[in-house]
Amino acid sequence: MRCGDFKESYIKDEQIFQSLFVKFWLVVFILFLFVLPFMADPYVMYIANLIGVAVIAAIGLNILTGFTGQISLGHAAFAGVGGYTAAILMTRFDLSFWLALPCAGIMAALAGLVIGIPSLRVKGLYLCIATLAAQFIFEFIFIHWESMTHGIRGINVPAPTLGAIVIDTEKKFYFLTLGIAVLAVGFARNLVRSRVGRAFVAIRDRDLAAEIMGISLFRYKLTAFAISSFYAGMAGALWVCFMRIVTPEQFPFHLSIQYLAMVIVGGMGSILGSIFGAVFMTLTPELLNVISGAVSKAYPTLGQLFIPMKEVVFGTLIVVFLIFEPLGLAEIWRRIKAFFLLWPFSY
Amino acid sequence: MQRRLLIPVLAMVAVLIFTSQSIAEEVVKVGAVQPVTGRFAFAGVHINAGLQDALMIANEEGGINGKKIQYIMEDGTYNVDVAVAAFKRIMSRDNPVVMYGESTGMGKAVAPEIKERYKVLYSSTSFSSELANAADNPFVFVPGPTYSDMFGILLKYIAQEKPGANVAFFYSDTEFGKDPVPYGREMCKKLGLNLVAEEVAKVGGVDVASQVLDLKRKNAEFVIFQGFVTSPVDAVIKQARDYGLKAKFMGTHWGTHKMLLDKLGPLAEGYLGVMPYAFYYQDEVPIMAKIKAWNKTHHPEVEYRPTSYMQGFFTGQVFVECLKRADQMGQIDGETLVKALQSIKDVDVGGMMAPITVVNNKIPMGRVYKANVQKGIFEPISDWIHTD
Repeated sequence: MRCGDFKESYIKDEQIFQSLFVKFWLVVFILFLFVLPFMADPYVMYIANLIGVAVIAAIGLNILTGFTGQISLGHAAFAGVGGYTAAILMTRFDLSFWLALPCAGIMAALAGLVIGIPSLRVKGLYLCIATLAAQFIFEFIFIHWESMTHGIRGINVPAPTLGAIVIDTEKKFYFLTLGIAVLAVGFARNLVRSRVGRAFVAIRDRDLAAEIMGISLFRYKLTAFAISSFYAGMAGALWVCFMRIVTPEQFPFHLSIQYLAMVIVGGMGSILGSIFGAVFMTLTPELLNVISGAVSKAYPTLGQLFIPMKEVVFGTLIVVFLIFEPLGLAEIWRRIKAFFLLWPFSY
Repeated sequence: MQRRLLIPVLAMVAVLIFTSQSIAEEVVKVGAVQPVTGRFAFAGVHINAGLQDALMIANEEGGINGKKIQYIMEDGTYNVDVAVAAFKRIMSRDNPVVMYGESTGMGKAVAPEIKERYKVLYSSTSFSSELANAADNPFVFVPGPTYSDMFGILLKYIAQEKPGANVAFFYSDTEFGKDPVPYGREMCKKLGLNLVAEEVAKVGGVDVASQVLDLKRKNAEFVIFQGFVTSPVDAVIKQARDYGLKAKFMGTHWGTHKMLLDKLGPLAEGYLGVMPYAFYYQDEVPIMAKIKAWNKTHHPEVEYRPTSYMQGFFTGQVFVECLKRADQMGQIDGETLVKALQSIKDVDVGGMMAPITVVNNKIPMGRVYKANVQKGIFEPISDWIHTD
């Protein structure tokens, strides 16, 4: 019987796939993700795509906020930069999606670098406000640089193609989102256990101490901003190509807050937490919508009361989760695992 | 604790879903994504009520040649991604033949798929000119004039009242605000009006002194608002009066409602607006008696129904007309519905509008109304004006 997990070296402690058991279930999960589109209807696939995009963006923000400790309220703006870059490259320069996607990431990363500069001087709430400014500056640019962004009307984006295949349905796009999300998770998971990742954590825990230890704050803070924005840019580009349109209204301030909420609800400083957070924040409102829709369909008078209630329920759920587990969903998951690890002989 | 709660909740949901699906008779499904929560909810709840009432009244009067209409509504919260999700949920679960949507953004996002995949008759809360284009979006129709048409109607009215007048546009920095401006400029040229100023302000803003001073400097005689609901229209009119500007102020559909009159109070003197639909208090309109009787029995708490309700109601009337025609043509599906829509010519809608004719998937006509401050209502001062 299994009664614990013993490791003999730090390398083993940092292993991603710690046991055969983990590997097995991960393979089962990945298989499930691949089989899902063959069983689900377009609506479920649409939601799956939204979750995939949210996962990528949330991981990006978690690298910056959860691992490096730099709060950003401009994440949606970086997603917007990515989205617009992809849209403009694909429509004006007829660039293929596969080239436009990394370009979108790089452009967003450059924007992130610039916006990240104040982080060298200001911290905490002050940085929060500095990044908030970025959100509004970029939103302004999206609306008013009409020759490039077509202002409020937005740009219609063609569907990505792969050879002769046009990726225009939720199902086809899902494989694209899934592939990129898996790459994004894999890269982030490896990044945080590398030298760079350790530097990030050191900065988060105490930046002065980190600098004394020889970590260049300039370099690592800006790297964190760039990587985080790169993720946001990719997410934005994917989203835009999925919706086939980009307008400034897709990247409002409240999306930045939503990304931050994903990171906090999921668990700061945890890649798994970002995934949980993205799933939770996307799925819960949808579930509430489905339930309230079903109620209003059966009892039209009751629906009038029930539909506005879902916002209240959603808000309450977040608060309750945070009260009972401030470390987020990732910690709840860890506790569940720990419970079953020693079950039924817990002590 | 969690498990104890979960089972009853699931059971309740299951019961709700199954009871609602046990209706066996032949039905025609009409789906709707309505902004009943979120920042557009002030109008969304009324649009929803209006659309639903129109369909239910049609049901009571025999449905679509005997088939009952089933109305399926979900909340879109006025967020594009939520609304598109609700749209796809309804489409894959219920597969209706007619869909109603919310914002222009949502319309643009689903338009390609409606054309290529879903093929449903689609209308929405948006009067955007971009969507009303039968060549690009054959399935999409605007239940009334577009914002551009509304501008056209107002400008025609101005040209009649005072040829060569100084006109100014005052619009918000949103899609909603900018939509009719290019067409408005063109119309000014065509009608020989003098477009002296274009002012831009934020929705809900109060700091409009510089714009108002500019209007005065350029001696604007008619100012048309677009893209606002209440603020900053009240602030603009107040400051204009303070500065002694004698211009006449006008609004399009979302600027011609009771809420604005109540907010303006005595400042509303002389305010004009264009409205395609009848008002709740227009007792001379035959359909209004039916609406009032229906509301009395089904919504006894209701005292007044705003213009957004009429918008929803009128859309419902057009839906019913299309469904009836399509049914007579032999098949209720998207393509037949579009044919039915385009065949609508001089159809009586009980006075909700003048007899309607669908042109390029819209109904480009409206009437100019003037505010009556004492009664707090709008009164018609022009006949029906058509554009195109």
